[in-house]
Amino acid sequence: MIERIAWLWPEIILFLATCVVMVLGVSPRLALRRQCAFVSGLALFLAAMVAIATGPMATSPWPQMVPFMKGTAGFVGLLTLLVLAGTVDREVDRDQELGRGFAALRANRAEFYAFFLFSMTGLMLCASADDLIWLFLALELTSLPTYVMVTISTRRSRSQEAGVKYFFLGALGAAIFLYGFSLLYMGTGSTDLGAISTQILAQAEGGAINDIAMAGLVLSLIGVSFKIAAVPMHFYTADVYQGAAASVSAMLAFVPKAAGFIAILLLVSTVGWQWGVADTAGVSLGAGHSLPEPVRLLLWVMAVFTMTVGNVLALLQRSIKRILAYSSIAHSGYMLVGVIAGPQGARFIDNGVAATLFYLLSYGLMNVGAFAVVASMEHKGEEADDLDALRGLCRTRPWLGWTMVICALSLLGFPFTLGFFAKVPLFTSGIAAGEYALVVILGINSAIAAFYYLRLAALPMLEEPVGEAPALTRVPARIVAGVLSAGAALGMVLVAGFFMERAARAAVPGLFDGTHASQSATDQIARSGERRADE
Amino acid sequence: MTGVIDQIGGMLAQAGYPAPMSVLTLSHYLFVSAAMFTLGMVGFLTRRNLIIMFLCTEMMFQAAGIALIAASRFWLNHTGQSFVIFVLTVAAAEAAMALALVVLLFRKRESLSAEEWAEMKG
Amino acid sequence: MSPWILPILILLPLLGAALVVLSHAARARSIAFGITLGAAAMGVGALASFDWSQAGAFQGEVGVPWVPALGLSLSLGVDSIALLLVALTLLLGPICVAASATAITERVKTYYAWLLVLQAAMTGVFCARDLALFYVFFEFTLIPMYVLISLYGSTNRKRAATKFFLYTFTGSIIALAGLLYVVWVNASAPYGSGEWTFDIATLQATSVQMSAQQQGWVMLAMLLGFAVKVPLFPVHTWLPLAHTEAPTAGSVILAGVLLKLGTYGIYRFVLGLTPEGVMEHAHALAVLSIIGIVYAGLICWVQRDVKKLVAYSSVSHLGFCVLGMLALNSVGVAGSVMYMINHGLSTGALFLLIGMIYERYHTRDMEELGGLARKMPVWSTFMVFFAMASVGLPGLNGFVSEVMCLIGAFQDNTVAQEPFVGATPGRLGPWYAAVAGTGMIVAAMYLLYMLGKVVWGQLREPADHHPHPRLPTDLNAREIAILSPIALLCLAIGLFPAPMLRAIEQPVNDTVQWVWKHAPSAAQYAERDMQRASTSIARGEGDR
Repeated sequence: MIERIAWLWPEIILFLATCVVMVLGVSPRLALRRQCAFVSGLALFLAAMVAIATGPMATSPWPQMVPFMKGTAGFVGLLTLLVLAGTVDREVDRDQELGRGFAALRANRAEFYAFFLFSMTGLMLCASADDLIWLFLALELTSLPTYVMVTISTRRSRSQEAGVKYFFLGALGAAIFLYGFSLLYMGTGSTDLGAISTQILAQAEGGAINDIAMAGLVLSLIGVSFKIAAVPMHFYTADVYQGAAASVSAMLAFVPKAAGFIAILLLVSTVGWQWGVADTAGVSLGAGHSLPEPVRLLLWVMAVFTMTVGNVLALLQRSIKRILAYSSIAHSGYMLVGVIAGPQGARFIDNGVAATLFYLLSYGLMNVGAFAVVASMEHKGEEADDLDALRGLCRTRPWLGWTMVICALSLLGFPFTLGFFAKVPLFTSGIAAGEYALVVILGINSAIAAFYYLRLAALPMLEEPVGEAPALTRVPARIVAGVLSAGAALGMVLVAGFFMERAARAAVPGLFDGTHASQSATDQIARSGERRADE
Repeated sequence: MTGVIDQIGGMLAQAGYPAPMSVLTLSHYLFVSAAMFTLGMVGFLTRRNLIIMFLCTEMMFQAAGIALIAASRFWLNHTGQSFVIFVLTVAAAEAAMALALVVLLFRKRESLSAEEWAEMKG
Repeated sequence: MSPWILPILILLPLLGAALVVLSHAARARSIAFGITLGAAAMGVGALASFDWSQAGAFQGEVGVPWVPALGLSLSLGVDSIALLLVALTLLLGPICVAASATAITERVKTYYAWLLVLQAAMTGVFCARDLALFYVFFEFTLIPMYVLISLYGSTNRKRAATKFFLYTFTGSIIALAGLLYVVWVNASAPYGSGEWTFDIATLQATSVQMSAQQQGWVMLAMLLGFAVKVPLFPVHTWLPLAHTEAPTAGSVILAGVLLKLGTYGIYRFVLGLTPEGVMEHAHALAVLSIIGIVYAGLICWVQRDVKKLVAYSSVSHLGFCVLGMLALNSVGVAGSVMYMINHGLSTGALFLLIGMIYERYHTRDMEELGGLARKMPVWSTFMVFFAMASVGLPGLNGFVSEVMCLIGAFQDNTVAQEPFVGATPGRLGPWYAAVAGTGMIVAAMYLLYMLGKVVWGQLREPADHHPHPRLPTDLNAREIAILSPIALLCLAIGLFPAPMLRAIEQPVNDTVQWVWKHAPSAAQYAERDMQRASTSIARGEGDR
């Protein structure tokens, strides 16, 4: 018990900071209220550092993933916070300047930071979940605050529309995966992920996995697809990202997505990937992967549709935020390729889970940059969201312009940028898992994505500016965040190896002890070699 | 009690009768919860009143609750029951948020229809 | 060859680009010229220090691990073929800068900076000994070219640039999947090295052991990437558009070097990694390239725009280049490699000449221009010279390579039983050479037709023509200085092809032998083809 609490220090830090922020927020002194952002940032930094220092969490199905994901969450969260800071403050200040008085939902700026911290706490809790109850609560803690953040992010009615759409579809998603969890429990008799895994293994060896448990898993995955904005639960994405303030959209594109992918990894690890366990039971298999066929099929269909729908719809948009929203859908599809591939081996490059984790990290960084650019520009007091706002940005606002160019190219996966090094492992792990069709679809989709990313990169770089330069919001931190993330998109390439090693280590399942896992891994590789030789 | 019912059931089965409805098995609970879940889903997708839509999601939550408790009894452990307590708490939190949202929306548009909120498209 | 040369050749233009960005716009051109000239001088140094007796071995090799988790390393090295292509790149560098002197007057810094980046990337492609590094450079050429076309091109430039980018990007991302498959096979299959590595030599050793079917798929994926770049027949449509819209220097680089990335990719990877796949599908590909030769040639004939004509002629000429490669014998492949260089020289020069005319008349329409020999004798002389080089007039460079490609294609595999050193039987046959040969005739037709209209005949000028404020009627000293070295090289290669052939002989022979050695079913193919031929003859007799 004490041990478990020791693993949760990052969450505890964040929670305490949340309390501090809320208390600070009711202070009558403006100077104190302004400290909320600093406290939040400090807490995130501390939490990330503590998480990295704490080391693997033995009870989790992915012991090493816990510190990795918490660290990722903390640092990307810090960048997000730089963009988020001032979103509501500005509105409140303006209200006060104009003497508009009391606006019920905007009275207190501290809540905004508190909600953000709550959401980050939820994300970190997700990473350390080893139980369905825990996972459910963590997922809800991640998303409930975001509903409020979307709604109060601007005073436009669009934000409220976004809020209501997000909330209702979110509740639907939550209900679906909750029902899935309950069926999973019904089918296995436990909510502990390790115990579920053992039970399912026993069932698989006895002939077939329990239908109820399988149905539960499928429902859970469909429900969680809401969090990662994947087909079939992607409908809300564009509207919500467009309606919310760009800064909040930046957060929505990373925090719930990361939580969702963690949840998917945790859930799927209960039925497969145990270094070929399902192989012996004869429940699956194609070439080399070890997911039960229904789950693999579900994820496969999800991945293909998610990529394609996201990319094709992104082509038709004129709003930058909508483009980024649809592209965020597409990126979820890419990452699902890694999930389907699974941990084929202990090395980074053929380990699909490591590829997904690394992609999540780099996507988080690049995505914040792109949204930060949108969040930094104003047009007549509104966000400058139209593609035209980007025209000639490299000349009028060089920092913002080049940030957009670099982030767009990186999101496209262009060589020399982080995005390329994130996408290559997805390809290789897919190939290693024998998912050739999926890899080709991934390639074609990357090419489709070139259409709209090229527009995002070319407009600032090559076009002549129209009229005067777009006004900047009064939050310089956003530009800093943008520049930092663009810097990361280029600079992290030099040290990518370091993060890839971490991701590879993070993606070793812990259901067996380390020696067994690596032993089976080598067996697996040897087996796949033999199979190939037989052909 | 269950022993008696089982005995009766066994006797009836021997005599060629179908098992009496009084014997509630896990599948009965599963059926009820699945029905509730489906009704909730269908309701959510077809109704346009925000409050009804929210109640539909609540119903789906409670369907999960029933399944959990039944499974808890079936497996003879308490995990499912404690899960339900948490589910109720979360449902309460969601209800609070939903009501706040609905009130806000009603003040803006004087209507509870979801159709009123379709400014963004594409 | 010092291991420092290749990294410096890549880094120097990048440094130059940084200098250009930081300096004043008025100095941009001189800095760029100085840097490219310096790089060219280093290129001469590289040529001089290259050990030509070991032409097939990779020299000047450096290797620094880059991303160990992915198995990437920054390793460079050149054999004589890569070195010659690097030399071509370096030669065209200062020429392009000099050629842009009067044409580019706005956003000068951006222009020269991207031009230098482009040169660095192209040099990198030829030098890379790591597959991933190759791919990174290969892709990275897209951005500078995209910028050059879409900022400095003519009216339709945006569309042209976008089409260029999307075609090439789509192709190469599929190619990436194919290349990664090879890498994975190397890492997992029992006959591979078991490591994730992108080292080209290691991958070649593994890749040739894949089954014919695997090789076929990998080759298809790679070809999608390279064929777009070349461009081969069905995927060539971006090229005329890009060429016509690009600024002169852009066209020169596009024709001179960028298209060679595709053929170089085919030479290095399609032949190197999938010999059996090539063996199997050579005929189909040869048919595609012959269609390209004839079809593009015929299209040239009906062009009114001189630049578009030369652009389509590139498609036609590179068809020869690919055809020679697919002949899979020493003559053909050597011809093909020479063709890469020769086409870069002569077509690059043609684009330069057209650019010079365009600067003076602001039109490239054959109907509006004519009889320029009277007004611009020097220009006309060069024009006729390079058009003849392009047609393949004996004594000029185009002839040697074109004839070698055709001879290579002519040779069929009936001599498969006789092992002989240095030369191997061909994979194609007389019919291929015969049909492709008509391409030469078509080339003569459209180029002479163009010369007849533009150079000779009645003097025609656009009605609203005003003399250029800064340029004389005929070529000035700068322009002559740009064209002369290319002309000299064309003449030298045309008259004395032997030194160059000797230079590329060894790597070409190695490659060809590699292909035949690792296509164990080659003999079966020969037999099967013979059988097919005999049955079809028998059937033909029966019909009679």
